[in-house]
Amino acid sequence: MSSEYGASRQEVILVTHPARSGPPNPLTALRDVFSNSVGMATYTASTLASLVEQTITYTVTTSVNQALDRLVPVIADAIVERLDLTDLVLQQVDLNRIVTQALDGLDLTQLVIDRVDIDAIVAEADIDAVIDRVPVIPLAHYVIDEIDLPAIIRQSTGGVASDAVNAVRIQGVGADQLVARLADKVVFRRRQRKVDAPGEPESLLGRMQSDLDSTERLGGEPVDDAEGGPA
Amino acid sequence: MTTFREYRENPEASAPKDDALKALPRDAWAIQGERAGFISRTVAAGIDVTLIFLTVLGTVAVLWMLSFIIDPTSASAPMADGQGDRVPAIGVMILYGYALNWFYWTVCWATSGRTLGNLVMGLRVVNFRGEHMRWGGSAVRSLFCTTFPFGLLWVIVSGANRSVQDVVLRTSVIYDWTFALPKLRGALGGRRDEIGPAQPS
Repeated sequence: MSSEYGASRQEVILVTHPARSGPPNPLTALRDVFSNSVGMATYTASTLASLVEQTITYTVTTSVNQALDRLVPVIADAIVERLDLTDLVLQQVDLNRIVTQALDGLDLTQLVIDRVDIDAIVAEADIDAVIDRVPVIPLAHYVIDEIDLPAIIRQSTGGVASDAVNAVRIQGVGADQLVARLADKVVFRRRQRKVDAPGEPESLLGRMQSDLDSTERLGGEPVDDAEGGPA
Repeated sequence: MTTFREYRENPEASAPKDDALKALPRDAWAIQGERAGFISRTVAAGIDVTLIFLTVLGTVAVLWMLSFIIDPTSASAPMADGQGDRVPAIGVMILYGYALNWFYWTVCWATSGRTLGNLVMGLRVVNFRGEHMRWGGSAVRSLFCTTFPFGLLWVIVSGANRSVQDVVLRTSVIYDWTFALPKLRGALGGRRDEIGPAQPS
């Protein structure tokens, strides 16, 4: 038998006896009546107890829930007002871990592409300030060097005359070096000639030359500064 | 291809900063500022001497033509007493050529440091400081070169590509293919400081 509230189940077992022939025994009848009465009483009592318990439980639970519904928000508000939640979170929570896990789970690039109006941001951006931070002059030098702008200008504006002059000069330099090598062999000179110009030539060039080529050209070999004079 | 970051972080590897140098062929960058060799200097001197020779001839031609205006009746051939010669004597012409050559080299070396022959061959004459010569030194060197041109032969055997004149007067003849005058270039651009050792960007 199930109770209405389904909290418990009680079973009653009825035991039947085969009919007896002969005249009824008064004692047996009295005993049966007594036992049946006791069983009925027990059953009734247990059922009543169950009903009372369930009724009380329902009543109390309902009342407590109603009371908690009213009290908990008030208590929680009071607690929150008395606590510095920010400080509490900073001290007790591993924010880096939380943020890292959250970022790992997000495709921020795609999120920005989907959600952010980049054109609007660029339209509002202070481009002048950005340009102010750009090294324009080095950038211009870099571009000029990469595209070899002087060569382009020479090719576009340089005439046959300048090309011829450069060719003559190049051939002259080559002839100079050839003659120098031959002469060095004749006089058994093993060291390279010291051809760096003295001082700091206004011609630009010794200064830069010493920086760019001295190590490379001399190969780390000491140079004989003593000029072999004619005397 | 060098990236811009590499370019900025390694300016030494980038091209030289001097705009005048950038205007030159890349093959010529390495030799700029070196002392020039025998052939270049000889060719330059030959151009100058040829120019002087033509100038002398032109002068003689002009004098010859002027002589007909001044004295149209004199004989063109030299007379026994030396009168009537419309063409100067050869000695005078040689002396005139030497003087003209001396004057020409003096002026050119003291001003721009280069003559027409030097300009063609991309040479420049500098003093022991590497600057272009002053008038006195230029005049002395010009006189030395004019009277003793064989001093140029010492360039062949010199260990520093210097002629006798260079050794005595402590001068040098360097490759300099740029066109701007040194002082003018420094005054205009103020970029000489950028020519030196690479500066961190």
